Order: sequence, then C-alpha cells, then structure tokens
Amino acid sequence: MTMHMRFAAGIVVFGMLLLALPHSAPLFAALFPALDRPLYQQQSFAALVLAHLGLVAAATVLAMVVGIGAGIFVTRRQGQEFRRLIETLSAMGQTFPPVAVLALAVPVIGFGFWPAFIALALYGVLPIVENTVSGLEGVDPAAKEAAEGIGMTPLQRLGQIELPLAAPIILAGVRTSVTINIGTAAIASTVGAVSLGSPIIIGLNGNNTAYIVQGALLVSGLAIVVDMGFNLLAGQLGRWKVR
Amino acid sequence: MIEFRNICKTFGETTVVRDLNLTIDRGEFCVLIGSSGSGKSTILKMINRLVEHTTGEIRFADAEIRTIAPEVLRRRIGYAIQSVGLFPHWTVEANIATVPRLLGWAPDRIEARIAELLHLLNLDAERFRKSYPHQLSGGQQQRVGVARALAADPDVLLMDEPFGALDPITRDSLQAEMTRIHAETGKTIVFVTHDIDEALRLASRVVILDNGQVVQAASPRDLLNAPANDFVRAFLGKDDYGLKLLSVETVAERMRPAIEAVGEGAVLPEDNLRLALSRMVALKCDRIAVSTMQGARVGTLFLSDVVR
Repeated sequence: MTMHMRFAAGIVVFGMLLLALPHSAPLFAALFPALDRPLYQQQSFAALVLAHLGLVAAATVLAMVVGIGAGIFVTRRQGQEFRRLIETLSAMGQTFPPVAVLALAVPVIGFGFWPAFIALALYGVLPIVENTVSGLEGVDPAAKEAAEGIGMTPLQRLGQIELPLAAPIILAGVRTSVTINIGTAAIASTVGAVSLGSPIIIGLNGNNTAYIVQGALLVSGLAIVVDMGFNLLAGQLGRWKVR
Repeated sequence: MIEFRNICKTFGETTVVRDLNLTIDRGEFCVLIGSSGSGKSTILKMINRLVEHTTGEIRFADAEIRTIAPEVLRRRIGYAIQSVGLFPHWTVEANIATVPRLLGWAPDRIEARIAELLHLLNLDAERFRKSYPHQLSGGQQQRVGVARALAADPDVLLMDEPFGALDPITRDSLQAEMTRIHAETGKTIVFVTHDIDEALRLASRVVILDNGQVVQAASPRDLLNAPANDFVRAFLGKDDYGLKLLSVETVAERMRPAIEAVGEGAVLPEDNLRLALSRMVALKCDRIAVSTMQGARVGTLFLSDVVR
C-alpha cells in the first residue's frame, strides 16, 4: 500500500511541476535576470513530456519483443547454439555508450524520430536479453521437471511456469533499459527528435541556463516517477514470496 | 498395466538398461531398488517418456507408449519426485489443480477434487489451501506433491525417491500414508528407492536391479525367504537380516489363543513381528497380549513362536 501511495504522490508532484512550469516565467526572470526569454516556449512542456515518453515507450516495446524473444529462443533446445553469440553481442553492446549508438544511427537513417527510436531500441535490448536468459536459467529445475513430468506442453511450461518465475528478473532488465533510455532520449534531441532534451540542447547552444534547468527538472522528475512505477510493479510480481 | 518388452536404453556409448522384461500388474505396488547407476530411475522415466527407450517396446494399458503423445500419456500417469518441484508462485490448491486444469475439468469438479485430496493426504484444508509452497515444511510439500500427482485420478503413479530428502520421522509417517493410500485407492504404483527397508515396507513386489538388469523380482516375503543370489543377500543386509524377516510377517500369523500375559503395550494382530519382538524386549517378557484397536483381547504371542 505504501508503494502505491508513494507512486501516486510522485505522479501528483510531477503533475504539479508540469502545471506550474508554464507560469514560472517571473521566477526564472528573477533567477536569471540577464536572459531575454527565461521560459522555454517553442513547444508546451506537456507535449515534450508526451513526446519523450512516446519515444521511450515505443523503443522499449520493440526492445522487449526482441530481447525477451531472443532470451527465450537461446534457452530452448533449438536455440542453444546461438546462446554464446547472443551473450557476446550483448556484452559487446554494453561497452558502447548510448551516445555513440545515437551518433552511429544518424549517418545510416538521417535526422528526426527514427534514428533516436532505432538507437534507443537497440541499446535497450541488451539488458533485457541478459536478464531474460538469466531469469529463465534461474528457474528451479525441479519445477521444470515436474511441469514436464505431469504433462504440460513446452508452451504451457514456458507461459505458466518459466516466464512467471523469471518475470521479476526480466522486469529488472526492462527497468534498467527504460532508465537508460529516459536519459538517452534527452540526448536524442541532438539528432533532431523532439523530447525533453530539446530545451536542454537549445539552452546549451544559446547559453540559456533557464532552459537547461527546466528541461533537466522534467527529465529527472520523469525518471523518478517511472522508476517508482517499476518498483510498484516489481512488488506486485513478487507478491507470492512475501505472503 | 505396464509391460517392458526387451527394453534397452543407451546414452551414447553407455548402456544403462539392457534387455529388460518386466510386467507390472494393475494395483501392484512395485518398488524398483538398486544402487546408483542401476538404471532404476531411467526405467521409471521411460514409463512417462521423460526418457525414451532405445530399443524394445513399452506397453501401457495395451498401447505402445510411443503411439501416445507425451503430454497425453503423462496426464494419465501421476509423477512425484524427490525434489517435489511444486510451482512456487502458485498456491497449494493451484498446484494440486494443475493436471485437472490441463485436462479441462469443470471448476466445481476441480474444487471438489482438491478438497478430497487434501483430506486423503491429511492436510488441513483451512490452513493449507491458500498457502504458498515456501510456507510449508518439507514433509507437507511432499504431501502436496503426492496430491498433485494423484489429482486427475491417474491409472498409474510414478514416484522417484519421493521421501529420500525427508527426516526419518516425516518419512515414516509418509510411508504409512502411502500404504494407506494404496490400499484405499488401489492405484498401480511404481516407486524408486535405494532404501531396502522402505522397499520391504511398501512393496507388494520388489524389483532388485543391478547394472540395468533385473536380479530378482519377488514379494518382500519371498525375497527374504529365498534370495536369488549373493548380490540380493548382500542387499538385504547381514546384521539385521533376521529382523527384516520378522518385519514382513504379522502377529496374527504366529499368535496363540488368549491366555494370561503382559497386557501393557499390547500389540495389534496386524502389527509385524519385528515390532512385537521390540515390545517384548522392552517389557522384558516372553509373551505379550494381542488386542484389537478397540481393546478386545484376541490372542497371545510367545517369544518362542516369534523365533520359530
């Protein structure tokens, strides 16, 4: 219950920040008297939050489909040979900073939403694959043997036993992926995607510290609220453990 | 019920089971026993196709098991293992309901069956129905494991060293439950163990295996009275061989009409002679009263008749 309440409080605080920010011109004018335009007004902050969330959500959905799918595949008998390959790719990918992925995507795809989307999805796949594999590997062999021995089909074993038991670990992977991508999506403004990074990038280019503060406030607030949401979800998934 | 015809099983170069011929009749409590590597678990797992036989034929209810889809076959055969393997994210009742649910039983039928099985396994429904496996003791978990194996009323129950990991007291009570459940349900049970006392206690027939072959298959009594060779004799043990002999015979077979005797700690007619002897030694007497559960005197057991 407290986790519900904390999440709700987080949403309320973030909502209030979002509502108050458009009316905060006098405050920022007072804080940064040297600036002509102390409040970012190219797009509304709400639209930026939606665009940011949309970018991260779309990339995460693709990353989950690919990542969980690949994780399932290499832990089946048919996919065992690809296990090493996937693990190597994933380990190599992790050593790449997300910004580099973003930079590499531009010459291939051009500017705008799509290079950002592809870069985020690609980078987001890695923690999800890793955690899906270790989650499925970690399922008690006795439960798997019993499931097979009492007559579950491979699909029933996967859907009813293995995935639910691996779910908390897979979710942790998704959480890492989303956390990284909320940050990376801000940098994605450098390649022309609209996100909460837009005020930050424009502020950096134009020496407008107020813009940077406004963008940073919302990005960090969003990251915190989303993380609280994952915390809540993780608690729900593991409910049977604490009863 | 189950028939092995000329079964061989090889894993790569090694032969685990060689030319096995064995028929397990309906209603039998068949215990497979042997040292590790004797092939006993492999034989058990071939019945529900967790392990596929290399050559030969295994017939189950008059059909070669390869003609039945593995899932269909397994839903007709209960399966309980030493590590239990309850699904940790499901409650006790959901665990028990697994196979009926897979078979698409109506919810009220499943409900009734859960209640029936909790009762059969001496599990308090109020207390355990909604519990999760990690909240139960090892013995309680294995009771749930056996209930889950019996849930869809299978023709056959396979048990792979189910009580091997339990403490002696819990094991003892579960062995007593199995004897009772076998008597009440008349199920065909195939049971693997490496504990000869467990085998002698539970089995209607003991199959002694060595190196993937049957050395002797006989009732506990026949096994003890006529061991086929030195291997079997060694398996039955030297020091307490006499006590094992006593453990397969009942008081009723050796008692005489009731006369004056020590009544305290009286034995039941269906108790085994090993227990009766133990009582006599403890009471330091050479005769002991035999009474029914209700307390009626039915006979007297003499020490001289025990060792006859």
